[in-house]
Order: sequence, then C-alpha cells, then structure tokens
Amino acid sequence: MVVVRAAVLALLLVLAGCADPAGPAPREAADLDGNASIKTFRYSLDQAPSSLDPVQAANVYANHVVLNAYDTLFAYKYLARPYQLKPNLADGWPEISPDLLVYRIRIKHGVRFQDDPAFAGGKGRELVAADFVYSLKRQFDPKNRPQGAWLWQGRIAGLDDWKAAGSDYDREVPGLRALDRYTIEIRLLRPFPQLLDTLALGFSAVVPREAAEHYGRELGTHPVGSGPFRVVSYDSSRVVFARNTAFRQEPVDLQAEGYDPATQRYTGVERIQGRSPPFVDRLVIDFASDDASRWNSFIKGNEIQVTGVPAEKVDEFLESYDPVQLKPDYARRYQVASGLEAGFVFETFNMDFPEFGYNPDPERERRNKALRCAIIKTFDWEARNQSWYFGLGTVFPGIIVPVVPEFDPQLSRTSVTRDVAGARRLLRENGWTAENLPVLVYGQSAGVKPRMFFEQFRAQLMDIGWPQEKVVLKQYATFGDLGRAWKESRLPIVSKGWGLDYPDAENTLQLFYGPNGSPGSNDANYRNPEYDRLYEKAAVMLPSPERRALYRRMNQMIIDDCVAITGLSRKRIYLWHKNVVALPDREIVGGFFLRYVDVLPEGESARPADLEPAG
Amino acid sequence: MDILQYALRRLLAGLPLLLGVTLFSFTLMVYFGPDKTFELLGKNPTAQEIAEVRHQLGYDRPFVLRYGEYLRELATVDFGNSDSTGERVSSLLARTIPVSLALELPGFVLGNLLGIALALLAAYHRGRWPDKLIMGLSVIGMSISFLVVIFVFQIWFCTSHGLDLFPVRGWGTASLADYLRHVTVPTLAMVFVALGYNTRFYRAVIVEEMGRDHVRTARAFGAAPARLFWRDILKNCAIPVITRIVFTIPAIVIGGALLLETSFGIPGVGKAAYEAIISGDQPVLKAVVGLTTALFVIALLVADILYRAVDPRVSLE
Amino acid sequence: MNAAQPGLPAATAPRASLWRTALYKLRRDRAGLLGLAVVVLYLVAAVGAWCGWWAGDWALITGTKWGPVSAQHWFGTNIIGQDIFQRAIYSTGTAFQVGLVVAVLAVGMGAVIGAVGGFFAATWIDEIVLWLMGVLDAIPFYLMVAAIAFALADNPYAMHVAMVSTFWTTTGRLVRGEVIKLRGLEFVEAARAIGVPPVAIIFRHILPNTFHILLVQLTLCFVDAIKAEVVLSFLGLGVKDGMSWGLMISESTLEFLAGHFNNLIVASALLFGLVFAFNMLADALQDALDPKQVA
Repeated sequence: MVVVRAAVLALLLVLAGCADPAGPAPREAADLDGNASIKTFRYSLDQAPSSLDPVQAANVYANHVVLNAYDTLFAYKYLARPYQLKPNLADGWPEISPDLLVYRIRIKHGVRFQDDPAFAGGKGRELVAADFVYSLKRQFDPKNRPQGAWLWQGRIAGLDDWKAAGSDYDREVPGLRALDRYTIEIRLLRPFPQLLDTLALGFSAVVPREAAEHYGRELGTHPVGSGPFRVVSYDSSRVVFARNTAFRQEPVDLQAEGYDPATQRYTGVERIQGRSPPFVDRLVIDFASDDASRWNSFIKGNEIQVTGVPAEKVDEFLESYDPVQLKPDYARRYQVASGLEAGFVFETFNMDFPEFGYNPDPERERRNKALRCAIIKTFDWEARNQSWYFGLGTVFPGIIVPVVPEFDPQLSRTSVTRDVAGARRLLRENGWTAENLPVLVYGQSAGVKPRMFFEQFRAQLMDIGWPQEKVVLKQYATFGDLGRAWKESRLPIVSKGWGLDYPDAENTLQLFYGPNGSPGSNDANYRNPEYDRLYEKAAVMLPSPERRALYRRMNQMIIDDCVAITGLSRKRIYLWHKNVVALPDREIVGGFFLRYVDVLPEGESARPADLEPAG
Repeated sequence: MDILQYALRRLLAGLPLLLGVTLFSFTLMVYFGPDKTFELLGKNPTAQEIAEVRHQLGYDRPFVLRYGEYLRELATVDFGNSDSTGERVSSLLARTIPVSLALELPGFVLGNLLGIALALLAAYHRGRWPDKLIMGLSVIGMSISFLVVIFVFQIWFCTSHGLDLFPVRGWGTASLADYLRHVTVPTLAMVFVALGYNTRFYRAVIVEEMGRDHVRTARAFGAAPARLFWRDILKNCAIPVITRIVFTIPAIVIGGALLLETSFGIPGVGKAAYEAIISGDQPVLKAVVGLTTALFVIALLVADILYRAVDPRVSLE
Repeated sequence: MNAAQPGLPAATAPRASLWRTALYKLRRDRAGLLGLAVVVLYLVAAVGAWCGWWAGDWALITGTKWGPVSAQHWFGTNIIGQDIFQRAIYSTGTAFQVGLVVAVLAVGMGAVIGAVGGFFAATWIDEIVLWLMGVLDAIPFYLMVAAIAFALADNPYAMHVAMVSTFWTTTGRLVRGEVIKLRGLEFVEAARAIGVPPVAIIFRHILPNTFHILLVQLTLCFVDAIKAEVVLSFLGLGVKDGMSWGLMISESTLEFLAGHFNNLIVASALLFGLVFAFNMLADALQDALDPKQVA
C-alpha cells in the first residue's frame, strides 16, 4: 500500500506542479461582478489582438488596447464626423515649413509614464521628446518585428539608412530628432500630407526605452505607457485595464470634440463636459469571435455593455433602418447608433494570371478583359448585402469609399448592378464557352462565412453558364498562409476587406499603385503607367479640388479596366446599455472613444429626460 | 529502492519515445507548419522585410540546426517567447494549464464515477431491462456528436431560447459561486458525451471479471453480492480502469478540451495550443509537444507502478 | 467462454464454424439487423448522390434567404438560399466517402503493421512497430490532425490522411495481440516448419484469421471517421470541396441568433441516425463474432 500512496502522491505532485502558479487574471476578474464601489465598463470586440506592442498594432483590435495604454501625438476627435484630427500628446498643432518638408512638434510638459518595475525605483518618469523619437525608430528595427514601417518608409530623411546601418538607437537620424526635452523635429524627403494622421495610429505610440529594454519581446503582453488606462491582465479572451490615476488632467471641451447637439444629445455626453477622463475605474474588453455568445453576454445585462448588433438580430431589434431606430421595447433599455465602416470589402482579379489578366497576346488580353467585365456583371452585390449585412451595407462603384470626403455619390452604378443577360452576351461575343472558360480559384481564409461567400459567388457564376467544377475554393487555414498566397501572387482572385488607416482616399488608391505590386498591397498587380503617374502627383498634394479630381480619375480607371469587383461598406450598428454614457465607434484607428466613457448606476439612463421613449 | 531504480529505468526507456514524438511533431508542426512570416508583416512589405522576418523566425536555417535547437530547448525547459504575443512560453503554460485542469476535472471525475456506477448497475442486472436500458442509452449517447451537444447545451442552458441560467462564455475562479457558474455547462456537456463510452467500457470490464472462475465459485458458495463487488470484482477491474484514467491525464493537461474551450471562450491550454498551431506559433507548439510527451512517458510509468501496487503478481521486471 | 485455451487445435475448420455461427446469430439479432437496414438506406442515398440521381442542385441558389419549409424545400433554405435538404442528402455521399476511405485504409494499415509486429514479436521489428504506435498515440488527436492538415496544406485528402495515421494504431494493437496468440498455434508452426516465407504466412495464414477483429474495427472506425469529420470541418480542417454534415453544422452557427436551426437539426439528425445504426451494427457484429461465445 505504501507504493500506492507514493505513486498517487507523485501523480498529485505532477498535477499540483502544473496547477500552482495561478495567474492574477482570476483575482482581477473578481471585481467584474458585484463590487459596486468600483466603476467598471465592459466592452467587447470580435477578435483578440495578438500583440499589444505598438510596433505591431496593425489592426483595430490591437489599437483598442494600445491607444488606451499609450499616448499618441495626435488623435481623432471624439464626436466629430467625418473624422478630424486633434493634438493629443502634442501641445497644439506643429509648425510646418512652407515647402511641407519640416514639421516641428511640441509635446506637453509633465506627462508621466505609469509606474513600472522597468523604471529606476519603479516610479514612472516624465515622457520627453526623445521617447517619441525612440518609439518611431523601433518601427525600423527588425528585431521588434515591426509592422508599421511602410507608412514612413522612404519618407523621413535618414530613417531607412539608420535601419540599413543596423538600427543602433544611439545613432541619430537626421530627419527624426528631439531638439530639446519637449520638441520633436521631423524632416521629410517629399511632402507627406498624411503624416499627422500616421501620428495618431497606435504604430507611433510612445514607448519608454526602459520598458522596451526591460521586457524585450514581452512588451507585447505587458504595456508600459502613459495613456488613460493601465493594463492589469491580458489574454486571448479579455484584457482588463485599471484607470491610470496619474493621467494628466485634460477637461473635456465638447465643442472642441466636434459635439453636435442636434444629433448626439441622446447619448448624454453633455455629462462629461468639463471633467477629466478617464471616468471609469476599470475597463474590460472581452474578445469573443462568436457573434452569438457576444450577443447573449450583452443582453444578460450584467456582462458586456456595448456590442455591435449582429446582422441576424437587426430585424428583431430595429424599428427602422434609416435612420436607425430601436423598437420601443428595446429603446427603453438600450441606446443605438450606427455608422458606415471606414473601409470596404471587395474582390480583385490578380492581373498577373494570364488566363484572365495581362497576356502577351493582345487579342487574348482583350478577351480577358471581357471575361472580367462579365464576372463583374454577374456578381450580385445586392444578394451579398441582403444575405450577410441585412441590406444595411452601402454598395458603391470603385474604390473611393463613402466615408472619405472624395467619395462621389453621382458615379454610375453600372459596375455594381447585376446584369446576367449582359454578362452572357459579353462572353458570347468574345468567344467564351463552357469548354474554354478558365478555372477560377477563389482563395479564402478558413471559416464558414468565407466558404459561404464562395458558394454564393459560384452559384452566381453558374447563372451565366460557368461550369460548377470550374469554380474552385481554396481555403487557407491561417491568415499567415493566406497572406503568403497573396503576397507571392499565387491567388487568381483575392477577396479582402480593407480598413482605412486614415480618412483619406489615398489609403485605398495605393492598393492599385503599380510599384506596390506583390508583395506590396497591390494584390491585383495592376500596372497602369497613367494611373501610377496620377497617384504620384496626388500623393504629395494637400486636400484640394484639384486633388479630388485626380482621385476620381484614378477611380474611374479601376472601374473601366474591370480590375476589381467592388465594393461594399458595411454599416456598423452599436447597441449599448442606457446607463452607459458614450458614443461607441471602432472605426479608423479603433478604441479612441473608450477614455470618454462614463457609466451611471444600474437602472439610470444617460439619455436626457425629454428624449426618453414614451411609456 | 527497487522502485526508484525501476522508475529510472523506465524513464530512460521512455527516451526513444520522447525523441520519436518530438521529431515527428517537430517535422509536422514546426517544419511544415504554417508560415507565420506574413502575419507579422505590415500592409505593404518589401522583399527585404520579408527576408528579415523569416530570419527573425529562424525559417532560413536548415532542418537539423532547428531540430537541434529544439532538443536543447527541451533539455533546458526554456522555449523562449511566443511568436504571436511575445509572452514567455512558460508563463503562458502556467496561465493556461490550471484553467484547463479546473475546467475538466469535475467532468472527468463525474464522468468516470457515474460511468462506473451505471456499469455496475447494468452488469449486476446483466441481460435484464436495467441493463438493456442503460446500454441502449449509452449507445445513443455515443452516437451524438460532441459539437452538437455543446451547441444544444449552450442554446438550452445559456440563452433566452432556453433556460438562460448560465453565462454563455467566459471563465472565472474568483469565488466558488463564480467557478460553478462557469464550469457547470461545460461539465454537463463533457459528462454527457463521456458517459456512454465510459459506461460501456466499465460494463465490459466488470462483466468479464464476473465471468471469471473465482467469482463464480464465490457466488456458488453464496458470497453476498455487495461484498463480492467490493472485494473481488472492483479490485480486479482496477488495471483496465487505471489504464484508462492514467492515460487520459496527459490529454487533459495538454490537449485540453479544445472544443469546450473555444465554444465557451475559456482561456485554457487546448485553445492556446490550437491557436499556436493555426498561427504557426512555434515556440508554444514546441513546448506543448514536449510537455505532452513527457507526461505520456510519466503516465506509462505511473500506470506500471500502480499495476504492481494493485496486483502484486505483476512483477516490476 | 473457453475458446482461447492453449493447445486447442485451431485450424481453418473452427474458423468456418465461427463465421457460420456468427451469421446465424446476426440473423437473430433484431437491433443489429435494424442497424444494417438503416446503413443500407443511407448507402443508397449516398450512391444516388454520387451518381447524380438526386441532390444535384445542392450548389445552386434555388430559393430566398432562410426560406421556410415547403413542398419545394423540404427543410427550408439556408442563408444564401440553397436547399438544405439537398445539401444534407449530398452530404451523405461525403460521409460515406470519408468513412469508407478512412476505415478501409486505417484498418488495412493497422492489420498489416500489427500482424508484422505480432509475428516478429520480441524482435527489433516489433520494437519499431510498438515505438511507432506509441509515438502516434502520444500526440493529442486534434493537435496531430491539425498539424497534418496544415502540413498537407490544401490537399483535399489532408483530413483523410490525418485520420488514417491516427486511427490505425487501435487496430494495430488488437491485431498484434491476436497474432501473438495465433503465432504459437499448430498450423502456423507447421507452415513455418515446411519453410513458407514469413510474408506468405502473415498474409495467407494469419491475417485471414483476424478478419473477425477487422470487421468490427471497420465499423467502429467508420463511425469515428464521420464523427471526426464533423469536428474537423467545424475547425476548418475538414472537407475542402463539396458539402458535409460538419460544414452544415458549422454553417448553422451563422443562424442561431436569428433563430434558424434547420441546418443544425437536419445535419445532426442524419449524422445521429447513421452513427447510431452503425453502432448497433458494430455491437451485433461484436457479439456474433466474439470467439468466447462461439463454443
């Protein structure tokens, strides 16, 4: 029996050894329920960020965390639509030289990093200009596996050389210097009108060198910043922040934030006028990719407080789509807002495939264009919109999306209107038959939704006589592998969504700029010298009617050449509990609104009394 | 100290297994695994940046070097940082493994205890209606897909389409109530699915044991059924039962319950390992595979020692 | 109850009686026969789907989004307007394709490797066989399958390969054990004595005597394969082209919120029916072929 006991003991030890180091997460979670003295706001996102290191803040998910844990020089105004920049860490607007090449940016005094063991004595020190310089340099140090360098590559004097010379942080970059403790100077090689927008991205958030060196790669799970919140725990299912008690006092001026009482008073944001954010003690973001569980958690009442309305629930909840209005029952409990996404979904043909793209034989190339135009004609945007977005999305021709000022609502809708007869005629007239039509390989990420997109696409192609076995799905189990197939130009049709990095059509027009061909973001490998010339001309121009005209000409080229099946901007509908004072918005950078959120006691309503629904 | 010696010898004998598993899974999961390069690149990468990332990830080095590196990491139990988040692999495992254990232990224990209880009941009434009922139900249980069970339970227990009693997802161990709230539905699903298999397995074992000569003799001499069960049958059933339980443990510790964890949003090791596979997070994969194998070898050893403890006729040779 | 007594002369004659008795017992096993009938029914559905006799429009959009149950659409339509019933029937073909391919290959592989290991028990060949089975068993199933599926990238048979390479070890262990028993029997000794080469002994004399194990394993393996298909397809590692119950079940996750459960109900009901029938059949076969109950 001794043996048994010893063996069992050994087994227990093995188990206990594994079970022992209980992380801090569960204990922090204790505060999520109950404890009334702590004001908690629970938000949710449909995906977890993979890294919280600013140099890897490549998507809205990462930015939701990075923008709240760190500071950026500029930021988007809380309430202004269309989006407008404002100084954040920067002390006012920069001085810009007349040739648009030199930017001098002053930063605020007395901003402190959060306390952290990385600092001497564990006490957060003051944030200075050199910290920004260091942080931007990190984007050019391959050791950090940065993802944002493309924004500044070939644009800031000496930065690319600095990288080529081995990314030594003690070496100075002529175009990126701290002139004194509070002044940054950026020298550009050519005008870059979107520079300030890039300084509002999580990519350019300010990281203290001590923390980057102390934590190394683990900075990705352990942010040390100067933002309104401090990350307490983080894993793939949730991030928990606590208020940064040392955050600078910056009373909210609603006028400056672009407040429009006529359309925004219902949110109750007037309550935060003159107060300094953040207003909650604890900010929790749950990451749940599954709509159903996010939704169920929301309607429970005591869990997450804001969610997007899943398309499947729209009919049940909405009284009207335009303007978005809740049914009275729900209006008593929730607030609703909607907005178009800053981005779009679209499919491009990869022009490098001779079966339907560029071809050495001019005759074949002409027939190929007819083939592409026929596919565009048979594509049913309306069905896509109805099936997946409850008809709430905005279908538009071309690649200039509705949220940017350059969008042209007058553009002909022929390229987004289904015309099966026209498509059949095009095929017939150009000698395409079921026998000689090429095989279309439709590359997608794993998952059931992309698969259903494919099935819908295939069924639509079958309507114009495309044989079923000639439309093939290729699903990649990981985004990495899908990305590789794109970047190595191995996919004939690329189906993707693009989120704007900044509200300027340049950000989508670059998707078809020749030199950006694979492995760049021009997955279509569209090469049109005239287009490239116009792009280069427009890229250094400040917003003006002339630039707008150039943008629109480029847009027309994409439509006329039948390069892409495009596009649709989804409408986001946000629903939140009425005791939450907020105007949620995940677009553009993502998560910049979180610091302004306030939460009233359970049962109270943020809505002004005269706007409460009757009954 | 022959036990100790024996244990050491067995562990040594486990080395080829360890090498085999690591080589096999390294080749599959790491060498031919998903390419993480393009997940770590920005929106507009250059060929040079691609090469830099590949170099950072070590993809540009030959197979032998990379495998050797892995063996060194195994020996020192230091796998570095996750390629996705940068978190230390050791802290990732320390964070996720207890969660999986806490998630699965209740279901595992209940599933086995209930299985044994039902099996005893069925075996005791062998051939009569309780037996037929229990066996019929367990075949039905075995025929339902785990995935369907999870979905149906989730809809039924956690949403307004059903009882709406428990949270749909999440995890908490702050208090006992909190833990019970989160663990109940996954446990029910687990027990439901495992029960059919367990009952059948244990019934077969018990029935076989009851057919043995010494049991029949005891019965013929009028030994009381309860005493018979406890003294002879259960004790002799111990070996297959131990085998089943001990060999499930590595799978629980490391394999986690992938489906439960993903469906209920529980940050356990199964989810972490699966995410590592689909995102090609090699440091995490390497650690998971190494740990699994080590546990498997230990399980072999523990099972051996327990056999001997239960049945002295099994020699340590 | 007393078959495997040492020294019992076991040549072909007792085996033949085993099969005769088994057939007799099977014919009297009502649950087993019912299972068999249901399996045959599914098989007919599957063959019809393969030959295009029915369910040919599974890929077409023939209705509206989430159309109701009607004479035209027996179980309504899905989110893009495809007929759910046709898709479910077409998936029966997929299930049989996956089940058969995996079961035959896995059991075949297990039989050969297990027999070789058993025949050469206590030599280095057996050591390698044991080692291989140990290695494959040590890796958690889903990790292993996922890894193989990724390594084979977009090969449509990645899932099949993954399942075969993990499923065969069960059969392998059983056959190995049985062969060790058979090896000592007279007819094998006799064949050895007259110099029949090992390969011939294994394939001609030993393997045929393990068919009762293989038959049961085939049915069990079939069940495991179609159940695993559902999970793998849900994880995005399963069926690449075509349609399957697993894909339908994962499709149903898009519809729960809107209160549409048709995909889930139809696919899981059909899946349950087939698995249940196969389980009953497997039980009946097991009872009928159990040598302990023959004598």
